[in-house]
Amino acid sequence: MASIDISVRGLSKHFGPVRAVHDLTFDVPAGQVTGFLGPNGAGKTTTLRMLLGLVRPTAGQALICGRAYPDLPSPRRTVGAVLEATGFHPGRRGRDHLRIAAYSAGLPLARVEEVLDEVGLSDAAGRRVGGYSLGMRQRLGLATALLGDPQVLVLDEPANGLDPAGMAWLRDLLRERAATGRTVIVSSHVLSEMAQTADRVIIVARGRLTFDGPLDRLEAEAGSLEEAFLRLTTDHDDAAAAAAAR
Amino acid sequence: MLTLIGNEWLKLRTTRGLWILLAVQLTLITVGAAGPLSNMPLDQAATAIGAVAHVGLTSLVALILGISAVAGEYRHKTITDTYLGTPRRGRVVAAKLTATTLVGAGLGVAGAAVSLAVTWVWLTAAGHTMPWSEPELWRTAAGGVVWNAAFAAIGVGVGALVRNLAVAVAASLAWLALVEGIVGQVAGRDVTRYLPFSAGTAVGRLPASIADGLPQSGAAALLAGYAVLFAAAAVVFSTRRDVA
Repeated sequence: MASIDISVRGLSKHFGPVRAVHDLTFDVPAGQVTGFLGPNGAGKTTTLRMLLGLVRPTAGQALICGRAYPDLPSPRRTVGAVLEATGFHPGRRGRDHLRIAAYSAGLPLARVEEVLDEVGLSDAAGRRVGGYSLGMRQRLGLATALLGDPQVLVLDEPANGLDPAGMAWLRDLLRERAATGRTVIVSSHVLSEMAQTADRVIIVARGRLTFDGPLDRLEAEAGSLEEAFLRLTTDHDDAAAAAAAR
Repeated sequence: MLTLIGNEWLKLRTTRGLWILLAVQLTLITVGAAGPLSNMPLDQAATAIGAVAHVGLTSLVALILGISAVAGEYRHKTITDTYLGTPRRGRVVAAKLTATTLVGAGLGVAGAAVSLAVTWVWLTAAGHTMPWSEPELWRTAAGGVVWNAAFAAIGVGVGALVRNLAVAVAASLAWLALVEGIVGQVAGRDVTRYLPFSAGTAVGRLPASIADGLPQSGAAALLAGYAVLFAAAAVVFSTRRDVA
């Protein structure tokens, strides 16, 4: 049995009457790529932000390696996260962005050049991020996440803006991390990409868990990931959407 | 904690904002000094002092620096990465406050040096002597440095409370340009001299505040109090609010 690096218990986040995330419970095992799927607005990003200590849960808890994120002794060495392609100062050079992240985490500056090389940004590192393409920003975000060579990788829609070669590169990177016993959780709504990358999937809809298990079991039950996804995420109170799913 | 403070300094110096603000500040100080030097009698110490008093007035620049040190991180969403690296948010705010206050003081020192140099060169070129031994000259220069440091610290607090960069800058400038003046018309000088900008003018020894403002040391203590108040509010709000 693989060890559990991420453990979510009864996690909820309510914004007034809106239940963005409601009573979510799941585990993410090490050594696998876990796809975190759901339609837009299902609560994926909010869940990941609660996991990373950025959003305070209304109820429940989310633990990484047995601790809440703010209690991790050296967060960047434990968890690498990519949340948004836009989290960079446009006037700052790519290399400086990484130096800041490395410096605050007490990581050697040599790691900056290593991760730049790993994501293929060495040549662009001296340029200001404002001139980067969306794909380059994704790579810079990934480089930031990889700085501490973390046990856990949390990626929110990392495929956005990547070209086919970039997608293939990202898939290899995630597979390789999982193969060395790390934990990888990737949120996405690009099902075809997940079908090729994930070992397990967690599906949420309207803030609730609708499936948690191996990808092949899901596909065996429904025929394809897409069919399963539509069936598991359709609001059956909505006649039109339910008809489309049938 | 030293690492975090060093990190904030790294953030400040790796974007052009700080260097643009420094250039703006030094230009304002130089042009500002030229005013009294070309319009007032050069054989009086008050002229040199009036020229150097512009150091304090450019604390507006330090205020904007402080605001953008925090609100700029929200604007560019780098705050997410900052908190991922240092999830103890109170420590981040404390480091920002320390680093930005030091840089604000640095801006003040650079401004004072340029201001004194410009005044000295101007007076010497016109065949007059610089009143180096006049205590009021040094009180004004030192007060200007303190005013810059305090407004940088207050800026950090404002930026952490408001978080929207444009709104925070606009609201601060509106406060300084409008609100204190309106309060003055309604409530009178007995009230306004305790407000942040008026306290700043007393610390920076602006001629207008010497007659009826607070004493310099008292005003400096008051400004420090404002900075602490804003900083405490900044820590409380920053630790409670979600980062979306």
